[in-house]
Amino acid sequence: MAVNELLAQLHEVAASPKKQLDKYLKEGKKVVAVTPVYTPQEIIHSMGLVPMGVWGADMEINEAKKYYPAFICSIMQTVLELGIKGEYEGVSAIVIPSLCDSLKTLGQNWKYAVKDIPFIPMTYPQNRKPAYGIKFTKAGYERVIRDLEVATGAHFSEFALAESNKIYNEHNAVMREFAEIAAEAEITAVQRSDVFKSAWFMLPEEHTAIVRKLNEELKNGPKAEGKLKVLVTGILADSPNLLKTFDENGIKIVADDVAHESRQYRTDVPDMENPVDALAQKFADMDNCTLLYDRDKKRVDYIIEQAKKHDAKGVIVLMTKFCDPEEFDYVPIKRACDAAGLMHLNIEVDRQMVNYEQAHTMIQAFKEMF
Amino acid sequence: MGEEVKKSRPAPDPNSAKFKLGQIAAKAYSDAMEAKARGEMVGWCASNFPVEIPETLGLYVCYPENQAAGIAARGGGERMCNISEGEGYSNDICAYARISLAYMKAKEAPEQNMPLPDFVLCCNNICNCMIKWYENIAKELDIPMIMIDIPFNPDYEVSDAEVEYIKAQFWDAIHQLEEYTGKKWSDERFKEVMEISGRSSRAWIEAASQAKYVPSPFNGFDLLNHMAVMVTARGKAEAAEAMETLLKEYKENHEKGVSTFRAEEKYRIMFEGIACWPWLRVTSTGLKSRGINMVTTIYADAFGYIYEDFDGMCRAYANVPNAMNLEHARDKRIKLCRDNSVEGVLVHTNRSCKLWSGFMPEMSRQIGEACGIPVASFDGDQADPRNFSEAQYDTRVQGLMEIMEANKGGN
Ligand code: SF4
Ligand code: SF4
Repeated sequence: MAVNELLAQLHEVAASPKKQLDKYLKEGKKVVAVTPVYTPQEIIHSMGLVPMGVWGADMEINEAKKYYPAFICSIMQTVLELGIKGEYEGVSAIVIPSLCDSLKTLGQNWKYAVKDIPFIPMTYPQNRKPAYGIKFTKAGYERVIRDLEVATGAHFSEFALAESNKIYNEHNAVMREFAEIAAEAEITAVQRSDVFKSAWFMLPEEHTAIVRKLNEELKNGPKAEGKLKVLVTGILADSPNLLKTFDENGIKIVADDVAHESRQYRTDVPDMENPVDALAQKFADMDNCTLLYDRDKKRVDYIIEQAKKHDAKGVIVLMTKFCDPEEFDYVPIKRACDAAGLMHLNIEVDRQMVNYEQAHTMIQAFKEMF
Repeated sequence: MGEEVKKSRPAPDPNSAKFKLGQIAAKAYSDAMEAKARGEMVGWCASNFPVEIPETLGLYVCYPENQAAGIAARGGGERMCNISEGEGYSNDICAYARISLAYMKAKEAPEQNMPLPDFVLCCNNICNCMIKWYENIAKELDIPMIMIDIPFNPDYEVSDAEVEYIKAQFWDAIHQLEEYTGKKWSDERFKEVMEISGRSSRAWIEAASQAKYVPSPFNGFDLLNHMAVMVTARGKAEAAEAMETLLKEYKENHEKGVSTFRAEEKYRIMFEGIACWPWLRVTSTGLKSRGINMVTTIYADAFGYIYEDFDGMCRAYANVPNAMNLEHARDKRIKLCRDNSVEGVLVHTNRSCKLWSGFMPEMSRQIGEACGIPVASFDGDQADPRNFSEAQYDTRVQGLMEIMEANKGGN
């Protein structure tokens, strides 16, 4: 299949998660919603369930206002809004981790706002590396398994989890490879985003198969020339309106530190005898993320390192409005960019953005600085 | 506005709880300053970090949240917020954090100084914002960060797995601190601290529960002020003693039929949220002028650090207000409303505090329904004065009062 056909296929999925949901339901599968930023998708998958990401949508907020004050990020607001409006009808449960304060409140509101879709909490430890932290992660997983069994009637087996761990590792590898290939290949920012976004709405094995083909095609296809190379960081970078401006201004994303994109695929499940232990170890091994305790701000060094490695000339921070964890990290990121001689730009984004004029002007001005 | 006429005030009675509590709060700062001057290490400590740990080890600590509240109450909130915003911190970040990060840079604030830290003690049982805030301090000052993770508990009860996780971290924290500061843990000293902390907590909870009398022997705003001692010094003998004095005074007030609420108590409400420190006078006067006494707040129940042993301590720190699920948090408040004959709830929708405000609309609805009382809310911020409107506050309080009045008519 040609590059364009593969991309069109992924675009279709990225643009219409509801269709995917209906498709899986029609196939007789049960679907479990997973919210940002990390959840044990491997477990859900291993139980024969389809994990589907819910990161909200670009839309107006009405119903969620009954639950949330205006100063909660629009991802949480719109996830709740969609839930209340019945957009997730047919979903068997929703797994919500408590990795930031706003996520903690989502689960509590969910219980009353969307009564027909059970809330399953996943409590991750922040002190995730010591043995006692790993043990606690495991207790969190065990709880998710129990709740999933109740909500869906599905059964858990270690054997199946070992398989799913492998499938997720393969998907990780393919996605990492894609990010590297996309840094060179001729592919727009919008198309790049479709590849990452569609991953949230497909079974990993299905997504892997398509992206693998895409990687092959892109590797052999034309290379992008004469673009301004940047690294993009933030929680979410899926707004087509915003990404179009990147393309219009000849800005090329050569690496990302986006929670919705590459942060998901950096860490594999290690090879260990017990697959639950292995999955807990994976969480312990995860780093370089705002939501994971990071005394040394390794995330900041990582961004600079990745920018340099990919020959990026600048760092664009897409700051989700009201995302306080990312707002704290912005200052050290800004300083580190200055010290490394990297230009940086901070654009506040929000799912209610209708007017992109300001962002367009900022991106244009950024481009002109080079 | 309806302020009491200021008579020539007698010199403060050094035996009064108010005087003692004020002294303890001030002494916490001066002790830390002196320790730092002597060359001892001083830490910055999150308000719900297990203070038993630094106290048992004999470490001096200061409380940035308390400092930020003090700075904000004395009018410095906006100035400090502007400093950190100038550094690139968004004004959506909790104002306590913004003030604290500004203080780290400015190194002084005439409203409330404290020494810069040699280590930070972080505990996220009140919020995860705390983690990011302390990470930034630790990284910038290049000092150790002791991180005790007490996750938000989605269940009503604290699980054994959680207690085990917390316990392991407590010991880890103790060992890290021993190594870094050279101080030694003593089980015997811990027992003492535990007993004192329990004494303070029991006296505090009982003092606050005197609001069960109608009229209440105290103005609930007292609790917001005295709470500072529970935050910073609950493990110190002076604090236990001062809290016991407070309890005694409230009991005497009741017997004598007097109150620190210096107006006729016509209505009794629960105040939900952190005080609006920059607008303390305005928010308090807006109530008092209408005869509304804020008789209780969740703080009356918080700081209940009463436990028998180390495991009990771990459990207690997992049961602080912001770590509880909606149902548990709601039931505690319903009990406070019932025990204290509360007729209405006034909710501070605090722009700084996403966790506290993020499920408050639903929770307060449930409280209102369960108790059959009206709920009103106003927008504010515990430390950034820019996020509060006096006019809105007034309208909301007036509205609440009118419903409470109508409800009385119906009885
Ligand atoms: S965008 Fe930020 S505040 Fe919102 S859920 Fe994600 S991490 Fe939390
Ligand atoms: S006000 Fe809220 S966000 Fe700020 S430190 Fe306190 S609990 Fe955390």
